[in-house]
Amino acid sequence: MKTPRRGAQGAPRGAGAVDLSVTLGPLRLKNPVVAASGTFGYGTEFLPYLRLSDLGGFVTKGLSLKPRRGNAPPRTCETPAGMLNAIGLANVGVEAFLDEKLPALRRHDTVVIANVFGETQDEYVAVARRLNGAPGLHAIELNLSCPNTDKGGIAFGVSPPVVRQVVAAVRRAAPGLPLIVKLTPNITDIAVAARAAREGGADILSLVNTFLGMAVDLKARRPVLDNLAGGLSGPAIKPLALYMVQRVYREVDLPIMGMGGISTAQDALEFMVAGSAAVQVGTVNFFDPKASVRIVREIAAWCRKEGVRAVREIIGALRLPPGAPPAPRAV
Amino acid sequence: MPFDFPAPVVRHQAINRDHFLLTLESPRVARAARPGQFVMLRTRPGHDPLLRRPMSIYRVPPSGRGQVQILYKVVGSGTRYLSGQAAGARLDMLGPLGNGFRPPRPGRRPVLVAGGIGIAIFPFLVDRLLRRGSRPILLYGARCRGDLVALSYFQARRVPVRLVTEDGSAGARGLVTRLLEPILGGEGGEERCELFVCGPSPMLRAVGALAVEAGVPCQLALESQMPCGIGVCLGCVVPCPADADGPLYRRVCTEGPIFEAGTVEP
Repeated sequence: MKTPRRGAQGAPRGAGAVDLSVTLGPLRLKNPVVAASGTFGYGTEFLPYLRLSDLGGFVTKGLSLKPRRGNAPPRTCETPAGMLNAIGLANVGVEAFLDEKLPALRRHDTVVIANVFGETQDEYVAVARRLNGAPGLHAIELNLSCPNTDKGGIAFGVSPPVVRQVVAAVRRAAPGLPLIVKLTPNITDIAVAARAAREGGADILSLVNTFLGMAVDLKARRPVLDNLAGGLSGPAIKPLALYMVQRVYREVDLPIMGMGGISTAQDALEFMVAGSAAVQVGTVNFFDPKASVRIVREIAAWCRKEGVRAVREIIGALRLPPGAPPAPRAV
Repeated sequence: MPFDFPAPVVRHQAINRDHFLLTLESPRVARAARPGQFVMLRTRPGHDPLLRRPMSIYRVPPSGRGQVQILYKVVGSGTRYLSGQAAGARLDMLGPLGNGFRPPRPGRRPVLVAGGIGIAIFPFLVDRLLRRGSRPILLYGARCRGDLVALSYFQARRVPVRLVTEDGSAGARGLVTRLLEPILGGEGGEERCELFVCGPSPMLRAVGALAVEAGVPCQLALESQMPCGIGVCLGCVVPCPADADGPLYRRVCTEGPIFEAGTVEP
C-alpha cells in the first residue's frame, strides 16, 4: 500500500510515495514496525497516544491457558541503557483475551498477533487451538523462553529437539494462523534453534527475546529482583541482537522479525539491512509510548531522503567484505 | 486522559542541598490533573537513565498559567540529572496518571500524614480541601530538620502542622506514628478523621495498620519502581492480601497509586 502521509493539499509528499509494506511468508504488514509482546499490553492501553492502524501490527502480552498473576516484586530494575524484568508471565489468560480484549481490537486496522506460552507442550497446544480461527486475530507468536516444567524448568527454546516438537505440535493445533516462533538468545548458537523451528513448521522467526541477567544490591548483599534473574532488554542489547539476526538470516531460510533495543528508525533500518523483514519494538514503548509510530514516520522519511521507493529493498542488503566467512562463529 | 508532550521548564528552585521545586508549563496536564496523581518525567535526553521517573504533582498553581509543579529530593542518578535542568529546557512529561485521592468522607476531618519527601503529594490536595471548606491538619515526620520542606506552604494557609524527626532536630523525636496515636485515640473530642498518607513503605504499613485497627478510613499513596506508568509493563506491582488463588498483585500506576489501607501490603 501507499504511505498514508500526505501534504496539506492532499498531494503525496516528496517526489513519490514510499511503499512501506512488507510480506513475511503468509503475513503481510502495511509497514515493518510491530510492537513487541509484554511491552504493549493488549493494545488498547496505547490508544491515548497513537492510532493502532498506524502500526504494522502488535503482539499481545504472552497468553497462557489460565490467568497468571506473576512474580513477587521487585520485578524490574533499571540497568545502563537497559532494564531487567522478571514479571513472571502475568496475563489475563486466553479465555479473557478472547472475550474481553480481542473484540475491542477488531475495529482497528492493524495486524494482531497473540503471543502464546505454556509450561508444558500440551498447554502450548491448548492455547493455540483456542486461538485458531478467532476473528480479528492474524497470527500467533510462540514464546519459547518459558520454563518447561516437564523438563525440570529448562526453557523450551534451549533444546533444539524440544523446539522442533513444540513448534510442530502448535502448527497442527492452529493450522489457520501464520506461526511466528520467538527465539531465546540464551543458547550457544541461535541458528541451531532457528533451524529446529523451521523444521517444526514455523512460518516466521522473531528474535531475540531478552538475555538472562541479574543485578545486585551491594549494601544488602542481595539480588535486586525477587526472582534473582531477569531478562535484559533495551538499547544495551542492540549489538548482540543485531549480530544474531544477521547470523540467522544467513543460516536459515525463513523471514525474520528482528528485535532487541530498537528505539529509533535508524536502529530499525539497521536490523532490516542485517536481514529482518520487519522489526519489533519493545522496551522503548515503556519510556516513550509514541515511539512505535514515530519510527514508522521516520522510516518513511529516511526512504524518501535515500531514494528508496520500497522499504523491502533494504532487507538483507548488508554488504559483506569480499572473502568474508559465510557464517562467522568466533571472534 | 493522559498527555505526552515536552514541557518547558519555567523555574527550577533549589530549596536546600538536595530538595528542588520544578515548575513546568503544560496547560493540558494542569487542566486534567487531580490531587494524588503523578507524571512520568524524562530527567534528561538519551538512554542514561533509560526510564522516566514517576513524580507526584506538588501543585497546579491556581494562577491559571497552565503550570505544573514537582517537588523532589535527589536520591539517585535520575533525580541528580533532573536537578541540572535549567529554565528553558524541555522535559518529556507523560500525565496526569493514576487514580488520585478520593475526597474525604462527609463529616471527617482530613489528617495528612507525610514521611520525608512524601510531603510532595499534599499541597495540591490541600488547595482542593481548603476550597471545599475542609480543615486539614498535617503530621509530618522526617529524618532530620533539613528534610522538612514545604513548611511555609502549610503555614501560609494556617494548616496546623505537627512535626517529628528521627534525630530530634525539629519537633518531637521519633516516628510519625507517635503523632498519630493520640489522634486515633480520640484526641480532639468527637471529631472523626480520615487519613491521607504518603511516605516510605514501612511508614505506610505502620500507619495503615493503626488506621485499620482504629476503624478510621485511610488512603495510602504508594511509591514504586515504575518503568512505564501506563499499566503495561506490570513492573510496579504491590502485593495485596492473598485470596483462594494465591498471592495477588496490583499495579501501582493504574490501579493506584492511592489505595485504601488494608487492601494492599506495601
